[in-house]
Amino acid sequence: MYRYDEFDQKAVDERVVQFSGQVARRLSGELTEDEFKPLRLMNGLYLQLHAYMLRVAIPYGTLSSKQLRMLAHIARKYDKDYAHFTTRQNLQYNWPKLADVPAILADLATVEMHAIQTSGNCIRNVTSDHFAGASADEVDDPRIWSEIIRQWSTFHPEFSYLPRKFKIAVTAAPRDRAAIKVHDIGIIIRRDAAEVLAFDVYVGGGQGRTPLIGHMIGEAVPAEDLLAYLEATMRVYNQYGRRDNIYKARIKILVHQIGADEMRRQVAVEFAEVKAQGALALPQVEIDRIAAYFASPAFETLKDKSPTTANHAFGVWLENNVAKHKVPGYAIVTVSLKPIGGIPGDASAAQMDMVASLAETYSFDEVRVSHEQNLVLAHVRQRDLLSVWQQLDAAGLATANYGLITDIIACPGLDYCDLANARSINIAQAISTRFANQDRQREIGELKLKISGCINACGHHHVGHIGILGVDKKGVEFYQITLGGSGDENASVGEILGPAFGEADVPDAIETLIGVYFAQRSPGERFLDTYRRVGIQPFREKLYATH
Amino acid sequence: MPQVLTANRLSDGEVVYLATDGAWVERIAAAQVFTSPAEGESSLDIGAAAERELKIVHAYLFDITPAGKPVKMREIIRAAGPTVRRDLGKQAAL
Repeated sequence: MYRYDEFDQKAVDERVVQFSGQVARRLSGELTEDEFKPLRLMNGLYLQLHAYMLRVAIPYGTLSSKQLRMLAHIARKYDKDYAHFTTRQNLQYNWPKLADVPAILADLATVEMHAIQTSGNCIRNVTSDHFAGASADEVDDPRIWSEIIRQWSTFHPEFSYLPRKFKIAVTAAPRDRAAIKVHDIGIIIRRDAAEVLAFDVYVGGGQGRTPLIGHMIGEAVPAEDLLAYLEATMRVYNQYGRRDNIYKARIKILVHQIGADEMRRQVAVEFAEVKAQGALALPQVEIDRIAAYFASPAFETLKDKSPTTANHAFGVWLENNVAKHKVPGYAIVTVSLKPIGGIPGDASAAQMDMVASLAETYSFDEVRVSHEQNLVLAHVRQRDLLSVWQQLDAAGLATANYGLITDIIACPGLDYCDLANARSINIAQAISTRFANQDRQREIGELKLKISGCINACGHHHVGHIGILGVDKKGVEFYQITLGGSGDENASVGEILGPAFGEADVPDAIETLIGVYFAQRSPGERFLDTYRRVGIQPFREKLYATH
Repeated sequence: MPQVLTANRLSDGEVVYLATDGAWVERIAAAQVFTSPAEGESSLDIGAAAERELKIVHAYLFDITPAGKPVKMREIIRAAGPTVRRDLGKQAAL
């Protein structure tokens, strides 16, 4: 994985000193809250319902064991012994004291971590495929390119005050596990007919108040021109993106208003200019230098041999949470942070320490964070799977539900978030408990259920096969259900079923929808497949006839 | 509807309420209740002064029932803690 050079470390260390001074001046009264707020947001520090919240960047979701242990240490020393993994592969502490934040950032800096690019109107932490470097279907390691983009975007003077926040996601596999088409910029890396890397650049996707699927603006951009093309796109956005209306300020609104063709034309004009200057051409030697950080670990020469077991629970976990690795004899393990009835994405300090130890022993010292709020051990020998499962099970981390109905994405919602209109975790818990039966979950099959507590859609409800949006109606929480969303390579925005449901009625409503799916599905169909074949009407009719 | 003045404490973000003696307290039960809109509005000046004195951040009024309970879920949660973690927030000490 990437290691800081002297410039990276110096920049992060200097930021710690700078923000420490800003905190001191805020506490002494030299800075007002209005003056301090933009400064703290540049360092990932929010003020939420109960306390401050610190969001720590985990670039493209990759952590070393040492880093994960530090995150656990901070949770234990400065917070309440747990932390929350987010839908942008970041981590949030919900209870830090303002005076402690400089010390937390200093601790993070010792393990090459920070909270930069986790808030504010800048290019945010770049996200990527959580199976990067391990999956058999990728054409290259997308983290190489994510890191190159990170280096270009961090402290980029031209893009520090954009009209609005800006999110970039990268995948290098035909199966999109990074939801790139619902990002401001999404990049698909592929190989052309000559096996040369080519970058398809999608622009103008996003969720929130106005969910839109991105358009391919740049097709087969060569590697050496990637940064020039991104720079050109950002320049067009920076020039024409609206700054007068926060709800219309994202690049998706610009693309929607001028059209994908006009956006493509304007980016092409800007691209020609940037390219002519030549400063952003990526030299192969630099690409190679970054790529070296992501070289495959020293895999043993093994043969594929899936464990045979009479242990039913282990067998189910193998089927659900273990994916094929590109190297024979190895496997990718998803560590579910979705225990039945639990809080999606939360992990205790002890659990983080335990996963760090597992990574150290069994997965080349590397942990991934997925945007679906799970952890991943990317390189586990198949013969070690039983040991890994036993230790995860002992720590309450072996829930065999990856991709199933209880593997729910949920934002913190009104239990923590200052922006939320309704709670979301409680709904996730109720649905998880209702569908706890393992056999039933597997009978339902792949089902992405995603819950947001407000229209900002941090819980990705727009791209849930079943999406749930919490709303406030005259002081009472209600939940609007959408169907048919997807964040994968065939991305789609979910369609609203009809009037919202009260909190207590949501599990029954989901039960009814599952019943319609069972009644309608053809052999081999997932929930989404059935929905796309039969449409929303059968679901709508049954749901509102029943409730 | 009766109202209470609330804010977050500057140093740690803790939810606090203005009490009758002018102190900022952590328990809503000890909060001063403003029964008229005029009283509530004037309390905002106290909040603004407390912000200048570096005690609190973002003071605002919210409605409570005659029984002294917050009307909106947001304030119920702020007064107690996360509904999904009864061991956290103010409720943990009760």
